[in-house]
Amino acid sequence: MDEVIISGLTKRFDDLTAVDHIELTVPEGSIYGLLGPNGAGKSTTIRLLCTLLRPNEGTAKVGGYDIIESPVQVREITGVLPEEGNHTLYQTMSAYENLEYFGNLYGIPRDELPTRIEELLTFMDLWERKDDPAGELSTGNRQRLALCRALLHRPKILLLDEPTSALDPVAAKRVRELILSLAEKYKQTFFINSHNLAEVQRMCDRIAIIDEGQILLSGATQELRSRLQASQNFRIRVVDDLENTLSISKAMNFVKSAEREADSILVTIDDPLKNNTTLMQALISKGIHIIEFAEEEATLEDLYLDVIKGGVK
Amino acid sequence: MALQKSMLVARADLKMAMKVSMVKYGLILIAAFGPVMLIATVLLIALTAPTVAAATLAMIDPLLSPMVGIIAIIPASLISANALVGEREQNTLEPLLCTPLTDRELLLGKLLSSFIPSIALLLGSILITEVSTIFILVSVGSEIVLVPGLSSLFLLLTTGPTLILAMVSVMILISGRVKRVYEAYQTSGATVMLFIIPMLLPMISMDTSGNVDMNLVWFSNFITLLIAILLAIVTWALAIGRFNRDKMVSM
Repeated sequence: MDEVIISGLTKRFDDLTAVDHIELTVPEGSIYGLLGPNGAGKSTTIRLLCTLLRPNEGTAKVGGYDIIESPVQVREITGVLPEEGNHTLYQTMSAYENLEYFGNLYGIPRDELPTRIEELLTFMDLWERKDDPAGELSTGNRQRLALCRALLHRPKILLLDEPTSALDPVAAKRVRELILSLAEKYKQTFFINSHNLAEVQRMCDRIAIIDEGQILLSGATQELRSRLQASQNFRIRVVDDLENTLSISKAMNFVKSAEREADSILVTIDDPLKNNTTLMQALISKGIHIIEFAEEEATLEDLYLDVIKGGVK
Repeated sequence: MALQKSMLVARADLKMAMKVSMVKYGLILIAAFGPVMLIATVLLIALTAPTVAAATLAMIDPLLSPMVGIIAIIPASLISANALVGEREQNTLEPLLCTPLTDRELLLGKLLSSFIPSIALLLGSILITEVSTIFILVSVGSEIVLVPGLSSLFLLLTTGPTLILAMVSVMILISGRVKRVYEAYQTSGATVMLFIIPMLLPMISMDTSGNVDMNLVWFSNFITLLIAILLAIVTWALAIGRFNRDKMVSM
């Protein structure tokens, strides 16, 4: 079953079309990543899904509820981490008070609320800081507290806008691990906005790439990565004569690109199963002493850049 | 249930405001201005003409006492100016709008968070003025009269809260449509001027020789109340009708 069904969703701000007739489906229990550069329409999409914004055209169903017809029900079943979530807490309220306030607004039974808050704060390693004003917590701790707030009412669907932005690498890793463990523990559906390719690759089982308000590509992460197998990157290291290696590689008609990167050369080859040996033999026949001829794992970055540049449609 | 959720918003807003001493004491200081002026007038009259103090005070009461109500509107405008735009400036508006609160519940909560302290300040001002007046008049051996008197008490306890309600509604409407808190504060100054006009109506009850016609006082009191009720209904309907999440988030 699909938890989020977006059909023809469009949002305009004066002359700017931020989201342009997008179509998406997010299966139940999946971690869905919406990738795109800044200003691509990612945040607007999340704001539309959590009913903060009203679409100009099209609609979306979130957990079976229409965002236009049943906004209150949509808000009941979604947990939202807004962009720069760590800045969206009541700074003078303590960590506990922040959660208590939102827990009450979400209608969590009064006898159950303290247990849930304790459970979440403990899970996020924040229980010892529960009485500290949110404004006095570190950026990473505030982000985790904002995540607690989004999770408190045990929503079916989590809408997270750049959950690791503005975090240092350690804190970002921590948040990623938390999301993965939450997905495993509570089986919730996650819809995550990010421009961090590595992050999406690590966390999401499905992705869509958005640019200028339009979905350029969508599908299962593995499936999209396998599309890259048609052409493959190889890293070549040689004893010396790197320049000669580069010119030999470039002369091959199946080599899409060849670039020098520090002490190695990165080549992209069409039909690699057939052609990588041809290239290797060509280099050896020209007297090049190869140290390494290694396959580079296809990354989403390659796909992302291809899509954004218009290489894949 | 709806009122319960609105009360949660109101309670949280009040709790946060009361944590800031500048806000707490600032509001009390503004509200104290009305009673201080009134008590000073009573003291002056009681000291200069103790034998006729009661009669003088009874005569000028309909002109003086509305001052307490006028001053009480100012803190209401200041608190409510902050209602929505304050949330936006703190970046807490989006999480709040993402909760299952309906527009009505949220606005009612914001209205109560301004209305409750304003009413408390108004009632406190009236009580302090009454007690002080009695104390002063007893001290100088004068006959006791109430300041605010009965007609003024009626005005302050009916029209006062109704005008505060109207003022808060219009300020919430403004607060949802401006980008910065200071813009809301600037607008609140102009709005206060507009909303104190009805409170000045009892002045028409004074004739050219300086006498006050009590029938006219009561008549003007009822007219003022009607105007206040009308204003409260219109402004609340506008606040609800013009509330637009999309616009607030898009700004």
